[in-house]
Amino acid sequence: MVPLFIALAIISGIGALLAATLVFAERVISNYGDVEVDINKGNKKLAMKGGGSLLETLTAQKIFIPSACGGRGTCGYCKVKVLEGAGPLLPTEEPYMDAEERSSGVRLSCQVKLRNDLKIELPAELLTIKEYVSVCEEIIDYTYDTKQFRLRLTDGQHMKYTPGQYVQVLAPQYEKSSEEVYRAYSISSDPADQAAIELIIRRVPDGICTTYLFDYLKVGDKVRINGPYGQFYLRDTTAPIIFIAGGSGIAPMKCILHNMKNTNNDRRAVFFFGIRTTKDLFLAEEMTRFETQLAQFKFVPVVSQPEPGAEWAGVTGRVTHIAEDYLRKQGNAHEHEGYLCGSPGMIESSIGILKKLGITEDKIYYDKFS
Amino acid sequence: MSLGSHMLHLSVILFAAIFTDNILLARFLGMCSFLSVSRQVKTAVGLGFAVVFVMTFTITLDWFAYRFVLQPYGIEYFRFILFIVIIAAFVQFVEMAIERYSPVLYHNLGIFLPLITVNCAILGASLFMVIRDYNLAEGIAFGFGSGAGWMLAIVAMAGIRERLNNARIPKGLQGPGITLIIAGIMALAFIGFTGVLSGG
Amino acid sequence: MKKSPQQRKLERLLQSSKFSASGFMGTDRRGLWEIIDEDAAEIAKRGKTMEEVAARMQQLTDLAEQGLGDWIQVSKNLHVAVDDNRGMIPCPWPHRVRCMKRITTARHIPSNTGVRWSDLNIHLIKEHGFFEGKGSPFRIEPGVLIDIIFSKD
Repeated sequence: MVPLFIALAIISGIGALLAATLVFAERVISNYGDVEVDINKGNKKLAMKGGGSLLETLTAQKIFIPSACGGRGTCGYCKVKVLEGAGPLLPTEEPYMDAEERSSGVRLSCQVKLRNDLKIELPAELLTIKEYVSVCEEIIDYTYDTKQFRLRLTDGQHMKYTPGQYVQVLAPQYEKSSEEVYRAYSISSDPADQAAIELIIRRVPDGICTTYLFDYLKVGDKVRINGPYGQFYLRDTTAPIIFIAGGSGIAPMKCILHNMKNTNNDRRAVFFFGIRTTKDLFLAEEMTRFETQLAQFKFVPVVSQPEPGAEWAGVTGRVTHIAEDYLRKQGNAHEHEGYLCGSPGMIESSIGILKKLGITEDKIYYDKFS
Repeated sequence: MSLGSHMLHLSVILFAAIFTDNILLARFLGMCSFLSVSRQVKTAVGLGFAVVFVMTFTITLDWFAYRFVLQPYGIEYFRFILFIVIIAAFVQFVEMAIERYSPVLYHNLGIFLPLITVNCAILGASLFMVIRDYNLAEGIAFGFGSGAGWMLAIVAMAGIRERLNNARIPKGLQGPGITLIIAGIMALAFIGFTGVLSGG
Repeated sequence: MKKSPQQRKLERLLQSSKFSASGFMGTDRRGLWEIIDEDAAEIAKRGKTMEEVAARMQQLTDLAEQGLGDWIQVSKNLHVAVDDNRGMIPCPWPHRVRCMKRITTARHIPSNTGVRWSDLNIHLIKEHGFFEGKGSPFRIEPGVLIDIIFSKD
């Protein structure tokens, strides 16, 4: 038997030795050094610290891969094509991959660890998605349930977006909401000015984000947004265009029209704007101005059920039917490109009509957001 | 002792640890992970292998620590602390190493390693090794056998529980309730091995 | 009545703004099960079942959907319209049901009364017998609802 204090010293010594071994091991074994991630064949090269997952490292570099589960490998959204350096597919990834993805090197970025240099491929749009802080500069009432919000990006930043794309707005915690939520809204402003964006938003009854924007947000408040997202933009062809939108679905069309004006685009284009009553009409003057500024553009607001006693000299009816009648009279209906934005029901029924008239599905463009 | 009888002696210890003196079903050690990770055979096998591996190696390390540190200084009463520290450090180390060198193995085995650090069966095996005064070879045989016995029990349990998914179980017994009852019945069954071998 | 932890959790969720800005309980001081019981009694008094009510609501929503937002005349005095909003709203009960944020409005012309419901309301009534707490934006009064959607003329 040795005295207690020596016994304690021995045990502590062994403990310290083991701790030192672990610290040393962590330095040597878990140190993956700096690794280089090559994105899109040399398009962008990032030097980052190894050891973390690809997803979290890219997020730290402000490249946002969509992910819903936060890197636990349960949602299967954060797929990234890894060309080189990822090692074998892990059992945790297998359930989310089909045969084609397996053979082309698609991986769940939350499961891929950065242990050596990687070559990966990302959709170009992911590289441009960023988070911005903006200040609400102006709120305009368009109708009883629709407003326009103008958001100026802080620190003189610009958002490079393609006209027609959308952003996500963050509604923070507020009196009526205990957590942050993101909602998607199309950009409606003139893309000539990329230091500020405008959004046209219709109130969703009791919606968490629109209630915040309509009842709580004041001019001067900060708003966090990220983007741009989406494949809804004007294709670079010479085909005649038919725009069909309902309500706040006018937003991306307005942005596209601004851009057509800025680029002197003289394609044939007609815009059917569907609303229920004359009270729902807004931006009519702006659209009429586009008619004079663009060589071959026509704006047709369509009121489906004018309120009794309203003075309405324009077209009355269902917007999809009016658009159908117009296309039938054109003779070259099948040559058109269809651009749609509005309620899911309106989009669905418009697609049906456009297809019936011989426009193939790959010439019909719309954003589903969710 | 001749080599032959030595081998026989070791195999008696090994099989006693697996069957007659099963650490889970005879000693009821390592119950918490036995109950919580026995829903699927696949994960049970993973956890079982991890236990076999960790038990075999920590019992070796603990044997050296006991024989060359605790005994010479007469401070055997510190074995609880020392064994736990060694087990924890070893598991950490192994986790780091396989994460680095074998990602596939890490995903099959590594996720279970932190779970094992707090598994009382691991510490229990080392303590039995001390109580029974095993030499190194006996200790290793006992460690491996105990791990294998634990794995046998959890895989059998997982197999039964997978079948239970199709059984109508009274509401109050679903989950841990029925699992404990099954564990009891399995323990009864293992009593049948008593006297076949003696690990002494 | 003693509540189970699941019931308490559900009530907390319904009161919170996790799903909609004002929650589902409104300013109602009654407990969830009281609300459900009292509304169920009202439905029974009118000689209807939850299934019948939900089925009729679904039928009206389907009819209204064809109008893409316009008023559709169902019978002489009953008009319905839908209002689509983007996105989905999940059911607060612990199962994986998500409904479109589609709102149907029904109007009874002679009495000048109206009632509106979301797709989620239909689900809540059909599966959970829940008409939401008083003061909630989407509270439906069972009596008013039955008067309008089952109106004879």
